[in-house]
Amino acid sequence: MKLKICGMKYQENMTQVATLQPDYLGFIFYDKSARNFDTSIPQISNSIKKTGVFVNEDLDNVIQKINTFNLQAVQLHGEESPEYCKKLESQNIEIIKVFSIKDEFNFEVLKPYENVCDYFLFDTKGKLPGGNGYTFNWSVLNNYPSTKSFFLSGGIGLERIEDIKKFQQSKASKYCYALDVNSKFEIEPGLKNISILKEFKNKLSNNIMNYNVDEKGYYGEFGGAFIPEMLYPNVEELRQNYLKIMAEPDFKKEFDKLLKDYVGRPSPLYFAKRLSEKYNTKVYLKREDLNHTGAHKINNTIGQILMAKRLGKHRIIAETGAGQHGVATATVCALMGLECIVYMGEIDIARQAPNVARMKMLGAKVVPALSGSRTLKDATNEAIRDWINNPVDTHYIIGSAIGPHPYPDMVTKFQAVISEEIKWQLKEQEGRENPDYVVACIGGGSNAAGTYYHYLHEKDVNIIAVEAAGLGVGSGESAATSVLGKEGIIHGCKTLLMQTNDGQITEPYSISAGLDYPGVGPMHAHLCKTGRAEFMAVTDNDAMNAGLDLCKLEGIIPAIESSHALAIFEQRTFKPEDVVVVSLSGRGDKDLNNYIEYFEI
Amino acid sequence: MNRIQTKLREDKKLLSIYFTAGYPNIDDTVTIIKGLEKNGVDMIEIGLPFSDPLADGPTIQASSTQALKNGMTTEVLFNQLKDIRKTVNIPLIIMGYFNPMFQYGVETFCKKCQDIGIDGLIIPDLPVDVYHEEYQAVFEKYGLINVFLITPQTSDERIRYIDSISNGFIYMVSSASTTGTQSGFGEEQTNYFERIGSMKLKNPQIIGFGISNNETFSQATQHAKGAIIGSAFVKYVTNADGIKTIGSFVKSILN
Ligand SMILES: Cc1ncc(COP(=O)(O)O)c(C=O)c1O
Repeated sequence: MKLKICGMKYQENMTQVATLQPDYLGFIFYDKSARNFDTSIPQISNSIKKTGVFVNEDLDNVIQKINTFNLQAVQLHGEESPEYCKKLESQNIEIIKVFSIKDEFNFEVLKPYENVCDYFLFDTKGKLPGGNGYTFNWSVLNNYPSTKSFFLSGGIGLERIEDIKKFQQSKASKYCYALDVNSKFEIEPGLKNISILKEFKNKLSNNIMNYNVDEKGYYGEFGGAFIPEMLYPNVEELRQNYLKIMAEPDFKKEFDKLLKDYVGRPSPLYFAKRLSEKYNTKVYLKREDLNHTGAHKINNTIGQILMAKRLGKHRIIAETGAGQHGVATATVCALMGLECIVYMGEIDIARQAPNVARMKMLGAKVVPALSGSRTLKDATNEAIRDWINNPVDTHYIIGSAIGPHPYPDMVTKFQAVISEEIKWQLKEQEGRENPDYVVACIGGGSNAAGTYYHYLHEKDVNIIAVEAAGLGVGSGESAATSVLGKEGIIHGCKTLLMQTNDGQITEPYSISAGLDYPGVGPMHAHLCKTGRAEFMAVTDNDAMNAGLDLCKLEGIIPAIESSHALAIFEQRTFKPEDVVVVSLSGRGDKDLNNYIEYFEI
Repeated sequence: MNRIQTKLREDKKLLSIYFTAGYPNIDDTVTIIKGLEKNGVDMIEIGLPFSDPLADGPTIQASSTQALKNGMTTEVLFNQLKDIRKTVNIPLIIMGYFNPMFQYGVETFCKKCQDIGIDGLIIPDLPVDVYHEEYQAVFEKYGLINVFLITPQTSDERIRYIDSISNGFIYMVSSASTTGTQSGFGEEQTNYFERIGSMKLKNPQIIGFGISNNETFSQATQHAKGAIIGSAFVKYVTNADGIKTIGSFVKSILN
């Protein structure tokens, strides 16, 4: 069930409430209300729908507010007529019409509104138009005759959790789409109590919270397989076999042996002494940069090439942005003697020449993606199109925890070796398996998924996900998907992605090619939405400086992607006794040109 | 009865044409629709352009990119089509990818389609199961027929399932490919067409992908109720006089 938090008034408080990732935030435009909104709205995640609440307001004023505040929904609390609602239709926003209920309700009055609003909202009837602070008798909704989704509102507070759970099991809740909360979570009118809200949200999602994929391929509301029918047989073949194959002792043995002898695992968990001193906390680096080919990507390609062989495929395709995944794929294809075709955006081919050369030396064919914006997103499209045209003999090795189910789960499971090792390595060094924090950068989210995997359900481990802010989250040149993205469909899955209001996928920007992707894997969208992970955004500049800092402090040149994860120490403080494990996902060799240019070395 | 269903009852082989809305110029949409109807086309697929059309080959990708550059959006398309039913009577289908519809709001989108007089939708990346579980009720509420694709790789069992959920026609993709990549049909396709024909499905089939001229149209319609032309027509209207000479294109297919 979705959550709407209503009656926002203070900017700082809004920013804090937004970190809880409610689905809707409500702003009351009604000057008789104690919560009347009279400031501006700070930058908050696009996936939170900004909702204007009005009471018999002049239509022109409503439209003006929609435009000024970029509202995505309006909630009409007065005696607005169906004609009034209809006039708002062209604004392309969600229209929520409120009705107040006491002990009974004549559902006939809803009828004229059926086709002119998107949702109903049922509130307690009282002296005021909303905000009376007590609940109505929810069983009235047992007779709800409509199929329109509705919001449940009126006096909902922490003490109602049990009632809500009961309600959720009743027939009356069948079309209940969201809960709307307000006064019960306030320190004073308009000022929300973050910790009580957090507790409420956790309790709502508790018992049922699972961060792993479910049997239909979803992480909460994200994931699935939104693919053209042409791909169905390929993806279905994989779905039916991947878990079975991964569980075969034979497979496991071969996978483990290659990771050890060929990749060089386990990768060290290194206590970064000077970095720790600088930030007065205990920082451990998980050294994926020391893997063969220089990044975590090879964990996945080893797994998938073994999978492809067992599925009888002899032609391998892949997409790549910076070329890291392309190199890792070309490498395992050489190892297994399989044909390898890598799609790469024309623009990326020009800016990543050394990796293009590597792939060619390894025997791969590099095909330029000439469509769209000619970068990673389009290379992915081209790889998918290739797969459509070659459904029988080809396996597509996706490079991150994205794509249609079962890819996100399969990639996550191959990368999970990262956190599996951290557990025993940390036990050796700190006497405990669980750190206080695990930190990773997120492009599509494969190194992060691997770093988090064995900690997802360990409540004492905090998860931090670091996105690329590019030139700044609000600059228009950014890849901070969790802030700038909305729910949608990209490359076969439902997740958070950057897009226009019209649903066209937009081009992100980051100095780091590996983070320059308009979506995030569905698991991460779920971790974000549920608040399990804290999402942070790091600019080009901060990442570059953090990268250079690591060179000087620890003698390690990191990939620019990984530098993003390292930059969080400048943004937030940790306690001296905190153990913070950072995924150092790759080495900086591939980025030397970038570093040289940036610092004029 | 929905216009698609009425059309499918006619005793003739049907020619359906796809074009990208807003291409080559933003205001060509209605002109093209009227031109196609006037020249005897039976059904039209109006392509709602998408930034990342996974199932399409280079021709339709390029037309989509251009249409978006021209300013085409869901709202613009709906506005262009506002009065289309004052003049056009043949079935109109919107073909597009799911994300723009999802952002518009699936129910709002469907309602708008009904208001305008759109008869059906083809959404290649909306899987059958998701449609069945989440959206079928809404589509039906607004009288829209959803058309599903099958390919040579689709199993008989799945074809039967798709047939059971369909209530218009089944879009038979001629071969494992994106749009516009085939030229001519070989034995493999003929076998596939015959295999499907012999399944005696409840919904008629219309063949698409790889149909570009009179020869492929005749081959396809030997085995199916009709055929769909996409890339070949998009290429045709790319030419300077294309839109003015739709009649000769249609004639070259049908005669
Ligand atoms: C070193 C490194 N880290 C991180 C990433 C981002 O990918 P992901 O989010 O899948 O880990 C990349 C991608 O190219 C990379 O090369």
